[in-house]
Amino acid sequence: MNMKNKLNFLVISVLSVALLSGCKKALDLQPYTSVAVDVAFSNSDKCLTSLYGVYDAAQSGDYFGAVRGYPFGAANIEQGDCRGEDVINIAAFYQITYQATYNATYANGEGHWNSLYALINKANVCIDGFRGAGSRGAIPAATALQFEAECRFLRAFAHHELMIHWARPYRDGNGTQVGVPYRDFAVNVPSTVDQVRNLPRAVSDTVYRRMLRDLDFAETNMAAVTTGNARTVRATKAAAIALKMRLHMHMGNWAAVKTEGVKLVPGTVNPLAPTSVVSPIGSWALTAAPDGPFANNSSSESIFSVRNDALDNTGVNGALPAMLGAANLGARGLVAISPILWNNTGWRCDDLRRTLLYVGGTNANGGASFFTNKYRDYVGRSDFAPQVRYAEVLLMQAEAEARLATGVSQPAIDLLNTVRNRALPTPATMQYLATNFADRIALIRAILLERRIEFLCEGKRWADISRLSQETDFTTGGIPAKAVNGAQGLAMYGCGLPYTPGQAGIPYGDYRFIWPIPATEIIQNPIVSQNPGY
Amino acid sequence: MRKLYLLLLGVVFAMAPALAQRTLTGKVTDDKGNPVANASVVVKGTSSGTTTKADGTYSLNLPANAQVLVISSVDMIAQEFPIGNQTVINASLKSDEKLMEEVVVVGYGTQQKKAFTGSASKIDVKEFANLVTPSVDKQLAGRATGVQVTNSSGLVNQPARIFIRGINSINQSTAPLFVVDGVPIISGNLAATTNSNALGDINPADIESIEVLKDGSATAIFGSRAAAGVIMITTKKGSKGRAKVSYDMTMGFSNTLKRFDLLNADEFVTITNEKLANRGVAPRAGVNPGGVNTDWQSIALINNALVQTHNLSYQGGTAKTSYFFSANYSKQQGVIISNFNKAFRIRTNLEHEVNSFLKLGNNMTVSRQDDGDQNNGSNALSGSIASALRLLPNVNPYNVNGPGGFNINFPFANSIPVGPNTQGVDDNFTNVAFTLTQNKYASEKMRIINNSFAELSFTNRLKFRTVLSADWFNDYSFQSLDPRHGDGYSSGGIAYNANQNILRTVWQNYFNYNFKIKGGHTFYMTAGHEVQKQTNKLISVTGQTIIDLFFLKENLISGTASTQQIGGSYSRSGFESLFGRINYDFKNRYFLQASVRRDGQSSLAKDKRYGSFPGISVGWRPSEETLWKNSAFLTKTFTDVKLKYSYAKVGNTLGGFPFLSATFGPAPYGNINGIALNFIGNPVLQWETSSKYDFGVEIGMFKGRVNMTFDWFLNDVDNLVLAVPTPPSAGIPGNSISQNIGTLQNRGTEFSIDLSVVRKKDWGWDMNFNYSNVKNKITKLYSINGNPVPYIQNGAYNLIRVGDPINIIHGYQYAGVNTANGFPMYYKADGKLVTHNVVNGLYYFVTGPNDGSLLAANATTMGFADRQNLGQGIPTYFGAWTNNFRYKQFNVEVMLRYSGGNQIMNTTAQEALFSQSIHNNGKAILRRWTKPGDVTNVPRLYWGLSNNVNQNSIANSRFVESGNYLRLQNLVINYTMDRDVISNIFKGYIESVRFFVQGQNLHVWSKYSGADPDNVTAGGIDASVSPQIRTISFGMNVGF
Repeated sequence: MNMKNKLNFLVISVLSVALLSGCKKALDLQPYTSVAVDVAFSNSDKCLTSLYGVYDAAQSGDYFGAVRGYPFGAANIEQGDCRGEDVINIAAFYQITYQATYNATYANGEGHWNSLYALINKANVCIDGFRGAGSRGAIPAATALQFEAECRFLRAFAHHELMIHWARPYRDGNGTQVGVPYRDFAVNVPSTVDQVRNLPRAVSDTVYRRMLRDLDFAETNMAAVTTGNARTVRATKAAAIALKMRLHMHMGNWAAVKTEGVKLVPGTVNPLAPTSVVSPIGSWALTAAPDGPFANNSSSESIFSVRNDALDNTGVNGALPAMLGAANLGARGLVAISPILWNNTGWRCDDLRRTLLYVGGTNANGGASFFTNKYRDYVGRSDFAPQVRYAEVLLMQAEAEARLATGVSQPAIDLLNTVRNRALPTPATMQYLATNFADRIALIRAILLERRIEFLCEGKRWADISRLSQETDFTTGGIPAKAVNGAQGLAMYGCGLPYTPGQAGIPYGDYRFIWPIPATEIIQNPIVSQNPGY
Repeated sequence: MRKLYLLLLGVVFAMAPALAQRTLTGKVTDDKGNPVANASVVVKGTSSGTTTKADGTYSLNLPANAQVLVISSVDMIAQEFPIGNQTVINASLKSDEKLMEEVVVVGYGTQQKKAFTGSASKIDVKEFANLVTPSVDKQLAGRATGVQVTNSSGLVNQPARIFIRGINSINQSTAPLFVVDGVPIISGNLAATTNSNALGDINPADIESIEVLKDGSATAIFGSRAAAGVIMITTKKGSKGRAKVSYDMTMGFSNTLKRFDLLNADEFVTITNEKLANRGVAPRAGVNPGGVNTDWQSIALINNALVQTHNLSYQGGTAKTSYFFSANYSKQQGVIISNFNKAFRIRTNLEHEVNSFLKLGNNMTVSRQDDGDQNNGSNALSGSIASALRLLPNVNPYNVNGPGGFNINFPFANSIPVGPNTQGVDDNFTNVAFTLTQNKYASEKMRIINNSFAELSFTNRLKFRTVLSADWFNDYSFQSLDPRHGDGYSSGGIAYNANQNILRTVWQNYFNYNFKIKGGHTFYMTAGHEVQKQTNKLISVTGQTIIDLFFLKENLISGTASTQQIGGSYSRSGFESLFGRINYDFKNRYFLQASVRRDGQSSLAKDKRYGSFPGISVGWRPSEETLWKNSAFLTKTFTDVKLKYSYAKVGNTLGGFPFLSATFGPAPYGNINGIALNFIGNPVLQWETSSKYDFGVEIGMFKGRVNMTFDWFLNDVDNLVLAVPTPPSAGIPGNSISQNIGTLQNRGTEFSIDLSVVRKKDWGWDMNFNYSNVKNKITKLYSINGNPVPYIQNGAYNLIRVGDPINIIHGYQYAGVNTANGFPMYYKADGKLVTHNVVNGLYYFVTGPNDGSLLAANATTMGFADRQNLGQGIPTYFGAWTNNFRYKQFNVEVMLRYSGGNQIMNTTAQEALFSQSIHNNGKAILRRWTKPGDVTNVPRLYWGLSNNVNQNSIANSRFVESGNYLRLQNLVINYTMDRDVISNIFKGYIESVRFFVQGQNLHVWSKYSGADPDNVTAGGIDASVSPQIRTISFGMNVGF
């Protein structure tokens, strides 16, 4: 071997060793932004953060890559109101919903559907996780049950929202109409997708029964109160009971509404002292002033709200204050109050809510409209999205009492007055008396109107239109007539001022009364049938 | 490292002043007697040398020990002359046919073009050396067959979209791999707040050659990363001989090629009040007594945007060392006021032969790019073009008494005042004059790409090369949104900073070994190993509700924001590969190449991680056969003919960790910590692979005056990694799970001809014409419960359907306007005519276009099933025709580029130009239906019913137009100063001077009604993007 060959041999040997020792490390990598499933349920702390992850799915699901408050952080409220007649859509933002021009690729519908089922699946994955952690002893059994209960509450809550928008009301055919697919198992591996693809839309009755079963479990196992930063934003027994009342209302089972209501409403109430009516479970009570629940997100009557705060909210394109507030206050002025309700003679001109919760201001188009200021953190957008208030419990119970009675029910009037009186300058002289109502129908109508006034801009209008659609005495006949999109100017507002809506109603029988199932669902899951007409 | 440079520099300079004794002069010519410029004249065994001037003459001071003179030049056979006592040595060099053989830069080496059996296109960089461009990708369109390049907007910092031989994947990367000096670099649109082109860090003037590798056998050596083709860029090296300095300068102006034709104030008032009246609403648009007629486009878009480029380069070399330095400054203002790209780039390429065994080198580029941008959202309320199209022309942008001099409603609302109207612009579009000047979208990027190598020559035949490269990218982005108006209003002002840091390291080690066996058998072998690691880091901060406007100028300032948010991310990825290639060449006639690469990637599970990708190709040059050579006709006519065929299997890289079964990611509930299911993966996921076939013919005729190439290719992607959609009701994050399902095909032909039409002393004419077509077809998707799924919806307008090309535009077939009532009409899937009553939203069967009876009994619906294939979004054919005319010192290049076969869904027209809201519209809306009997294509106006009138968010053939075009891409006129004149004027201080005037993107011939047929997404959607740019520039090159 000459010198050069020796050198070659040496270099080649060294290189070969260096190369063969390899760089396998380059490939053994892992994500640094996510943890494995088993870590998520490894102890009490992790289980609690996983539970909050399910609540987060309720607050801010995915809307085509953005956060717009789907399903419950803001969107259910905005859609629920814009489907009804008590608000006016000012610009194009909710125009498709407002004018019922949706189709199967309608983004708001798709966003809502997708984020509701995403919430449901996150709840289902966590239910499995908590059960496993409980049986392994990673968390106490009672905690496992409580966390599961909260997930099941959210699961029922989400399914009910789906039923309201995508299915004909329960009372159309008494539960026999087609509902939505009910998901009560975790889809967390590719094979479970096939299971999903084998389950058609259940009939309404099945969906309602399963929701009620979840809520019974939730009521049994949830906490009576949550405290600290969990207050209001984590569901408690009262939330489950209130939701059961809602479901029974939709089913027209008034006795069951009352049975549930009794758990939260004292047998006798003093309507002249609204704050004295206190729930036996959770001590929920009305605030002294009608704007109490909005001045304080975790007020005494805020049974369940979805949390938003300055650091994590539903954004300028979704947040309640941004969408529903007046532009001159820093909001976007996109959804105004409609004269249909504002001018309604059944709403007293001196009602305190007119001044405490509504304000004339600039709208998105630079014109003037009335807006709500229930949501008032225009910059930080930290207003919670109220879902269940004690006022609703009282009015649901009032309606049950009124419906169950053959005549004009005094307990119903008392409950109605309890809510209404706090908004009246002098309740003693202004409150309803039995003589104000010709019959029980008139009383029920008053309760229903009170719901529109009290919950205006809280997204409850569409659910009422849907559930009342089958009742000749109370129905709007379908999608009600509305103000023309963008109608504005303070001149059209006035207590008692006549107002003729310019946008025609759509009859109940029309296909547009319910939303189209998103096209992506129909394509990916042919077993799910499209609503007729789409 | 710096020390090494200093040392090498020292060596370079030390060599120059060798002991001078006497002067030798002479002239170097070629075998035809033409002077040879830049020939190297060196005294053998010393560092004394020079290069010849333009007239071929040289003058050299000889050292005392000078004995033999070596004269050489590129493509010529070097000659040696004994010096003796001579004072004049003239040389006539013969061209070296062997050396003249073109080479092809391939993976891990070069190959002789004649022996190359793959498919590659060489791009002549000289053709666009001086064109105004922030990055080279934007100039590739039309330069090579099979390479489809789209500049999909006029934004100067947006990367071009490049497809090599079609779209080769549905969900995975379809962008080619960029390899600079042998090393794959980071590419893409990377900044946090602006468009930004990572390829802009390579100075186009530093590029020596670009080679596009297209077929499987050429790309197989790059394995997984080459599925979408490879663009190989080689930067300049110093050449031996005297140092050469050159300075290039270009200055010019950009303007929009075409703007939108919008309504003026009077027309706007008429149209708007008609929209309202047709819905029974009183007029809301009013005539301004002052006669305001704002052209909002001229607020957002500027005229004569200044562009300039300066390049200084310095190169040369000695017998052992060569060097290339360059410094560059370029600034391009875009046509949108706030859009610009500014670049400072430095390159140093050094190579040094330590001895016959060891060669060292280092290529480094240091680059800084600054980008300015704006909200470009096509539907965004402060989107620059979106606003400019919709803002009301009878409203003034400015108000001397308004905040900052703008006409805005601050502090009362985030809107622009209504002007003479009773209602302002719908949807709250904001004053673009304010947002474009007061908001800031900025990014500063630092990039260092360093590439060090050592080459060991064990023998002449066996070489080993180790290359270690680091590509370090840092983006520092800043965004500020003014609280007074626009996107920052609702948040009380926003300041945002992001810092993004990407490091990619690549280490390559490979052997090249070649040997010959008697009888004309030649073998070239390459084998090696490569490992690549990449780390991406990001940190961002957002402040909302800023104390004062003052703190929105530069950077987020501590303590100035009442709401403070942080963000961050970290990811890593890796590749590891072993590769080998063997080329066999028999008598320059028969060729065979086989290669294999075994690739591992971190995005797959341990047991699925490695994939093996073989490639094989064969070639035959019949023109080398004896029979051919014996035929005078054949040899005279067909100088060189080659047939080739290749097959290879390649993989495609995946991103992230799609194999992990399920993970939980951060999901805070308000500010309460939470984690939630964020991903469901597929542990059995495997490589996405494709089989690529190519058959090609290369014909050289009449001694190279005509060169033709023809290629047929087929790319079968057979294991598509598809993000298979899951039912939304399954609630899976992202509604998809990756699976190896689905197949697609790209097939096509490519043809290119180079003609040297005239070759005279004083004048010449060369031309190139090229044509490519690509047919894409989806052949299989996934199944649901055993039933094959016929299509996947891709966004609102596109469908990916089996049997069709990817991303067909899928929507309603428009049937014009019902003459009786002005409603739009459509054809249902069965061809039946329906009229859409846009007021009640229902559809009715009608007997003909004059049938205005919308009877309840005839009511029907239009649904998904009624949507039809309205054409494909990507062009099916494209190419260019380039002509180069030379007359004495003048040289004119004309490039015409064409593309077609595609359709464009013009959502800009659907959503803005024909909007039924209180928006401004395009002039075309003046053709609307107004009274019974009107025959038109534009339906009756209905305020607020855009969704029904225009079918927003659904493709509608009313807005689908042909994307065919012919474009006058470049017209360049060069004038090279006569060398004698130069030497008379500059006395040898300046060697060459060239002046030029160039027009880029001068005209487009197209029936497309939108701003430009190139303003489209890969799915063929035009969505209110920045108009294209026409640039006229002039400049000069000076050589010292």
